[in-house]
Amino acid sequence: MIMSTNLKKILSPFVDIKGGLMPALHAVQDHLGFISKDNISELAIVFNYSQAEIIDVITFYDDFRLEPIGKNIIKLCQAEACQSQNCKQLLSDVTSHFNLNLDETSSDLNITLKEVFCLGNCALGPSVMINDEVIGEATTKKIIGHLKKHKIQNNE
Amino acid sequence: MNKAIKIFIPNETSANSVGAQYIYEVISKLINKNNIEIIRNSSWGAFWLEPYIEIEKEGIRRGVSYRDIDLSDLTTIEDFFIDFNKREPFDIQSIDFIKKQKRLVFSRIGHHDPLDIECYKNTKGYKPLLNSLKIGPQETINTIKESGLTGRGGAAFPTGIKMQTVFDQDSSIKYLACNADEGDGGTFSDRLVMESDPFSLIEGMTIAAYAVGASIGYIYLRSEYPLAKTFLLQAIEIAVENNFLGKNILNSGFDFNIDLRIGAGSYVCGEETAMMESIEGRRGLVRSKPPLPAISGLFKKPTLINNVVTLATIPMLLDSDEDEFSKIGSNKSVGTMPFQLSGNIKHSGLIETRFDISLEELVRDFGSGTKSGNPIHAIQIGGPLGIYLSSSMLNTSLTIEALQELKGSIGHGGIIVFDNTVDMAEQAKFAMEFCVKESCGKCTPCRIGSVRGVEIINRLQKNKANADDANLLNDLCETMEATSLCAMGGMTPNPIRSIIEFFPNELIQK
Ligand SMILES: Cc1cc2nc3c(=O)[nH]c(=O)nc-3n(C[C@H](O)[C@H](O)[C@H](O)COP(=O)(O)O)c2cc1C
Ligand code: SF4
Ligand code: FES
Repeated sequence: MIMSTNLKKILSPFVDIKGGLMPALHAVQDHLGFISKDNISELAIVFNYSQAEIIDVITFYDDFRLEPIGKNIIKLCQAEACQSQNCKQLLSDVTSHFNLNLDETSSDLNITLKEVFCLGNCALGPSVMINDEVIGEATTKKIIGHLKKHKIQNNE
Repeated sequence: MNKAIKIFIPNETSANSVGAQYIYEVISKLINKNNIEIIRNSSWGAFWLEPYIEIEKEGIRRGVSYRDIDLSDLTTIEDFFIDFNKREPFDIQSIDFIKKQKRLVFSRIGHHDPLDIECYKNTKGYKPLLNSLKIGPQETINTIKESGLTGRGGAAFPTGIKMQTVFDQDSSIKYLACNADEGDGGTFSDRLVMESDPFSLIEGMTIAAYAVGASIGYIYLRSEYPLAKTFLLQAIEIAVENNFLGKNILNSGFDFNIDLRIGAGSYVCGEETAMMESIEGRRGLVRSKPPLPAISGLFKKPTLINNVVTLATIPMLLDSDEDEFSKIGSNKSVGTMPFQLSGNIKHSGLIETRFDISLEELVRDFGSGTKSGNPIHAIQIGGPLGIYLSSSMLNTSLTIEALQELKGSIGHGGIIVFDNTVDMAEQAKFAMEFCVKESCGKCTPCRIGSVRGVEIINRLQKNKANADDANLLNDLCETMEATSLCAMGGMTPNPIRSIIEFFPNELIQK
């Protein structure tokens, strides 16, 4: 199999390091958005795993995905400190505002909603993470404001 | 060059989460004079005040909380100074929340730019490493043993003894692995070390690696901490440039490098053997022990595994002029503990203090009661595998020993306050649900038991008086405790049992 030069470049820093598979999976996903069937067969060759083993690893971890999701990921913390700050209510407000369930992606592939267990921002819950940014004392209004500010979504 | 006016705006996840980054963007645009400088310091850990902005002028440093304040009307930096002064700036180090703490591990946070290595060195940084290199590995381990330091990751194992075991192995390759997976809901002390004083972790790792004979150190950082990742990568680079990492560190002949590895959203990968599986590039399945990681760990080599806070505590112990740490506390509860107070609490944040503080002091003196103003109903201690205490138990002391007596543990130091709107049956159910989600799947009592646990609690929520279900839940807890391979399954019953015992009639009719 001839590996795409693009993937080769992505994987090259991890081929010769110990335990290179995890950082390689992160890198593939950061660059390509998800880990495709083709990527899996190429990863298997490069890291000397079977394809089943690669899939095994991918499916164990919440962060890795086999299918594309939204360009922007909104993660709502549902762990205990945020529970005490009504994160369940926030979750239900947010799901109804976006008309999306957890793990669902908007039809324009712009937004995916996910739950997460602790963002380390427990002192200022409920906490929400939009891409790499954490929002403390989160409300639906704050989330909408953030999406507008970052030009992720402009309509209400 | 020292500028006449310094504006301190923290760059730290919690501060940024309530606007510090936004304020930085606004103010940096206003600065047009070259006698004003912005310093991105770290948070002081008094998160209830964030974003806490300070100005230092003529050697006097004062600050103001800019929570929920719109600054978009400001057009000049003078406008900002006028606004700032109107808000009655105060010295954060004079408020009780900070003054009453015993900040040893977290002594540097807030003061300066965490990546300014000169500031680190000026505050005793790297003096401990030099001392360690002088006295040698065994003497370094002896010092840590004598200090009484126990692991802050959850299991409270004596750190020096673990180091001795790794040291004693005859192997040309050994590893150090820093556990930065910090998965417990309600905890953020590791994150704060990494974002606010990363050199203390790097120095601690270097000393530990030198002592046990490791030349490579991994940091396994959870993916939910992107800012900590940025800080660590920069700090590692700066340390390398200054020969605090790399080859022949400080001309000692000792080589040591740190490799940062990012997790992928799995709680159980905080368990040390699952963490090693993950670093090696596999599913995070827990390994059975023995062999101990100290004997055969990462890539089958002797491996020292410690938590971030444990490692960040080590430098202080090697400072020959400083032995305050080991004079505090007794038994296993020696030194200070960084409690992380969160949830429904007015004054939330990091509280580093002696272990034998009572819950009362923590939630009333430091925390000032609930944010909602409602009475406290429950306090969860020590993360998802910890116990819930009721409001009548506030006199409980938070030592490792006192919590053991209540069949709980201080874990990683998370303290979460709930007011009287909490539904304890829901909390009990969440403990099982979390285990369903995060079980590594290796053993049946945890993988299947947790699913049955959710079902039983669902039924109990409809009929608390069903004695059959109550007995079944008890039997299930016993089975999970007795037969799970690791503490994930083995300690998931802890919160549930505490709810049955300390909150009668809220889950099961007594
Ligand atoms: C399910 C589970 C999750 C854990 N998560 C963490 C964690 O996130 N961070 C951590 O330092 N230790 C965690 N531990 C404890 C580690 O297994 C290990 O005891 C610790 O990292 C050793 O470091 P220490 O001696 O410095 O505490 C966890 C244990 C279990 C059973
Ligand atoms: S108790 Fe749970 S997490 Fe631990 S080894 Fe068993 S299945 Fe895995
Ligand atoms: S519990 Fe939600 S951020 Fe920690």
